[in-house]
This record gives sequence, structure tokens and C-alpha cells, in this order.
Amino acid sequence: MIHIDNLVKRYGTLVALDHLSLDIHEGEIFGLLGPNGSGKTTAINCLLALLKYDKGTITIFGKEMRPDSYDIKQNIGVVMQNVAVFDQMSVWENIDYFCGLYVKDKERRRELVEEAIRFTGLEDFKKMRPKKLSGGLLRRLNIACGIVHKPKLIIMDEPTVAVDPQSRNRILEGILELNQQGSTIIYTSHYMEEVEQICSRIAIIDHGQVLATGTTEELKKMIKTGETITIEAIALDEDQLAQIRKLPHVFDISYEEQTLKVRLSSAKHNLVRILNYMQEHDIAFGRVFSELPTLNDVFLEITGKELRD
Amino acid sequence: MLFLFKYRFLQTIREFSIMFWALGFPIILGTLFYFSFGTSIEAAGETEWDEIKTAVVTEDSSSENAKSFEIFLENMDGELLEITRVSSGDEALKLLNEDKVTGIYYVKEAPSLTVGKNGLDESILTSALDSFNQNSAMVRDVLSEHPDRLPAVLASYGDYRQSVREETLGGKTLNPNVQYFFALIAYACLSGVFLGVRASFDTQANLTALGARRSVTPTHRFKLVIVDMLVLVTIHFADILILNLYVTQILKISLGDDIFSLLVVDLMGSIIGVCMGLAFGSISKMDLGMKMGFSVGLTLFPGFLSGLMFGNMKNIIELHCPLINRINPAAVLSDAFYCLGIYNDMERFRRCILILAFMSILLLFSAFLGVRRDSYDSI
Repeated sequence: MIHIDNLVKRYGTLVALDHLSLDIHEGEIFGLLGPNGSGKTTAINCLLALLKYDKGTITIFGKEMRPDSYDIKQNIGVVMQNVAVFDQMSVWENIDYFCGLYVKDKERRRELVEEAIRFTGLEDFKKMRPKKLSGGLLRRLNIACGIVHKPKLIIMDEPTVAVDPQSRNRILEGILELNQQGSTIIYTSHYMEEVEQICSRIAIIDHGQVLATGTTEELKKMIKTGETITIEAIALDEDQLAQIRKLPHVFDISYEEQTLKVRLSSAKHNLVRILNYMQEHDIAFGRVFSELPTLNDVFLEITGKELRD
Repeated sequence: MLFLFKYRFLQTIREFSIMFWALGFPIILGTLFYFSFGTSIEAAGETEWDEIKTAVVTEDSSSENAKSFEIFLENMDGELLEITRVSSGDEALKLLNEDKVTGIYYVKEAPSLTVGKNGLDESILTSALDSFNQNSAMVRDVLSEHPDRLPAVLASYGDYRQSVREETLGGKTLNPNVQYFFALIAYACLSGVFLGVRASFDTQANLTALGARRSVTPTHRFKLVIVDMLVLVTIHFADILILNLYVTQILKISLGDDIFSLLVVDLMGSIIGVCMGLAFGSISKMDLGMKMGFSVGLTLFPGFLSGLMFGNMKNIIELHCPLINRINPAAVLSDAFYCLGIYNDMERFRRCILILAFMSILLLFSAFLGVRRDSYDSI
């Protein structure tokens, strides 16, 4: 559905997109994951032909995307990172206005607006002005304005920034529902849990480059970490830590604030081996957790750093 | 199109701060003008008249002409003149030197006038005497054959208030305060800049999220700009009409009797104000706060040059650099109002309207150039 090839965007000497290439297929929820400033929004703006780029090509629905590609734009819905609504118009008027930029038929528009209001749970706020809405409701209005015309492709640029957990869950559920209704979705975020929860395929980008692409499971398989074991231990000396580091499949450990974190490659009986060592050496320990790798681990291993907020 | 018009209209009229600058502020300014100038503000042609203090010395009233002149002066006493009769020329000159009278009429076979300075009142006294001399033969005939009709005859050519007012139509109205109201309405027209600048933000993807959202829709950008312009001109035209009604009906300042032409100049004023705002908003790369700040200057400075703060400014510029008055939209608008309210010069009026139309087209074209860029270097 979307093919981005070798995209380069420079701001003076700063390279915002560095030969970025992506393929997004119909029916996917495609996650663009990266820290702030990694190039996600720049890529989206290039994709929407809002931003000029220095090199590369972008095709959507098999056609080159240009600023005057109105036939392509007809089938795209955009949920901007910043809320983009008119403060002087009510919730209903805003949704109706943005719907009207795509749909001319008045009756059809009315149906679509009502549907979008139901979908985003804004029934009780139709007549309210945006300034009277909470942050979560405002984000929902922003989404309603972007998806009201039932586009084939929806681009959501960090739609859950500064949203309370309840609204966030509702938004995420809504995105899954839109996807089930047939829309392809591009979802950018720096919240890994969200991306992991809803995206069928993910691209990790940093410094304007795609570092890895795949499903969550595929990405997790790309890294060494198969399991992370966390143990509350009161006192561990350097010798003990060195011995734990030498245990089979352990490739990284850290010990901070009486918490031992051991990262191991995927193997059977990892936890048993570590606990046996603790007992054999009479090391007192408290709670024990074992976690499978997360996208955070993937990001950490691929980029060598935590995902910045 | 109608749909877009409706929502843009609603959105604009609900933006209180912008509507305040476009309508509220000029009304407040007009009210302040009115109260500052007090009761002296009346429309041209309805100005309060101060009688001219005049001394009359009768040197020889035996001749028919002198008698006629005596009757002529009596007829004007209490109307145009406030006559003080003195017995001698010396006494009259003393009054003149002490500025207690403006001039001295000498009643004799060939009536004469002495004035101390040059000025409007002195011109009126001269004009009155000239008028009497030109018509003295007729006055004598009436006096001899129909003495009862003499006051009516004298009144028919003695309305110097009217004649003097017409003589001042070259730009010096009797009441200069009216100029402020012409400049005020011109300024109000230019306040459309605020509407235009604000609206331009919603079309530029590099400035606002709304601009970006509107830019990614399948609605052509030119269509959005045209709708914006039509909405803003409609709203601003209504603003100016409200201001006109306020000035003419509440403050009782006459803007002339030619309503159709007045509507034309109001419309052209609204168009040029909005187009200036759209052009400035689209071309410049400043943020909203900066643009709004500059918009204040963009309205007030031309207003200043057209006489908003100093009534005679336009005349000073006309003397020293008339080109500025031709290209300053506030001055051209003010001039158009003068043509309607004072000069009654339709040729000059048409020239003003043509200049405004030409400037509007140029500005609108500039606005299109500003927003025509399809994508941006940075957002």
C-alpha cells in the first residue's frame, strides 16, 4: 500500500531522514517506534507531502504521492500530534467541518459525523467547545476529526501524548476497531507498550534510519535477550557477581539498589540455575521476577540506549 | 463551497479578540473622538456658525447706495454678523487693533471695508461687500420700487455661510474634526488586516496544526483561500456598515447622502483590508504573535498618515509628497469618503475606487503566491 524508498531529508547539516525505506501493507497497524527527534514525524510529514525532501520516492496506493495528489488524499485520514481543531466551533461542528472537506453529500456527512461521535464516545459533548474538554476528550475529538470520513489509510502521529490511562486505553481499543473495519493504520509513538499492544508490524527508527522492522516476535528474536531475571538480594559482593556472570547463557548483569538484574539468552532452566547458585552460596534473596524480552529490550540492544521519553 | 463558507463564517465571528480589533476598537475610538471634540463635531454643512464681530462706521448715509448698504448690514446683523456701531473711524480702529472686531465697514456712497488680518472671517466680510457691490444696482431698484421685498432679495444672495462652505471644498472643511471620522473609517477598513492575518495561519501547514490538517485534505488550497477571503470580506463589510451606522446614527456625523457610493467605498475598504492581511500573513514567516503585532502597525501607520491622529497630516503629505497619499490605502479611502461627504467629486471618487481595486488585486495575488507553495522546507 505504501512504499517509501531511500528517503533523505536534511535541515541544513542535520540529517533528519537518512535513506529511510519502508513498505507498509494493506490491513496492517504499522508502528513507527523511536525516541523524540528520531524522525518519525518528519517521515509522516514527507509521506503526506507537507514537507519537501531531498531524495527518495514515496508511493501510496500505487501512485506517487505529491502535494496535488487529491485522489490519494481523499483516502487518507490524519490524526496530528498536536490537536488541530477550531476552538470557536463545537465538537459536532468541528467533526462536520473536517468531514465536509472530504464528503460533499450532506446526508452521508451527517451519518459519518454521528458514527465518529459514537466511535470516540463524545455523545455527551457534541455541543461543547474544545476548550471545555479535558485533555483526553480533546484527543478523542482530534481523532474523530481525522477518521470521520472512513479513510482507507489512517496516519496517527502520537495520538496518546498527554492522555490519561483511561482515555489512552479507549483510544487504543478504537484503533484496533478501525483496523478491524478495514483501515490500514500507521501509528507513531515513543510508548513501546502501546506499540507492542496494537501494532502488527513495527519499524524501529532512530537518527532518521530504520534500525529494524518486523512483528514484535520477529524483533524479539533478533536480540540476544531471551529472558530477564530480577532478584531482590540484600548483599552481593563483586566475586559473587562475577560468578553469576559466568553462569551459562548469562550475558549481562546489573546490581543496583539491592536489585540484581540478569539478562540471559533464550534457554531452558535459566531461573533454576540462578536460584540454585543463590542457595548454594547462602545468599539471602526476596522477590524474584522472570520476564520475557520487551520492545524496550529490543530497542536497548539495537540502539544501545533506553528509549527517551 | 457554501458549507465551507458557513463554518468559516461561524468560526471567525466567534473569535472575540479578532472581532474586537476589527469592529470594537474602531467604535471605541470613534466614541472617544466624539467625546474629545465635544459638541463642535457636526457634519460638514451643518456646522455651528459664530457670528463675525464687525464694527460699522456711518460716514455718509445720504446716498441711495449708502442707505441700501445700511439695510444690507441690518439684514445680516444677528445672522452672519455681530455689528457694533461706532461713531468714529478712530474708535473702530481701536476695536480692530484690540481684536474686539474682525473688520470695519464704512457706510458711504462707496462702502468700504478695513480688516486687520487675513483669515476666513475676513474673507467672508470681503465676500459680503463684493457681493453687495455687484448687486447694488438691483438693490437700489428694489429699494425704490418694492422696498418691502428688500430683505428677501438681500437674503437670496447673502447666505455667505453656504457660499463660504462651498469655497472650502478644496480640502479645508470648516470643521476639521470631521476629518478624523473619515480617517477612522479608513482605519477600520484596514483593520481587516487582523482578520486576514489570522485566517492565513489556518492555511499554512508550517505554522499551525490546523493548517497542516487542512493541507492534507482533498480540498484545493486556493479554494480554501478564496472561501476565507469571501467570508472575511463579508464579515468585515458588515463591521464597516455597523461602524457607519454608529457614526451617522448615534454620533450624528454625516458621511454624505450617496448611500450607494458609500456602500461601494465600504466594500472596497473591506476588500483591501482583508487582502492586506491575507498577503502579509501568507508571505511573512513570523509567528502569530509577531504578525499580529506588525498588523497593529500595518493599520495604525497608514491611519496616522491619513490623519487619524493628526487631522492635518494628509494635507501636509499632499503638499510635500502627494504620491504617498495615492498609494496609502487609508489615505485613498479617506479621500473617497471626502469625495462623498464633502467634495461631491465623483471623478475623483472613481479614481480612488480604481486605485483600491488595483491594490486589492495585487495583494490577493501576493497572498496566492504566499500560499501556493505545495510543501514546505520545514514544519
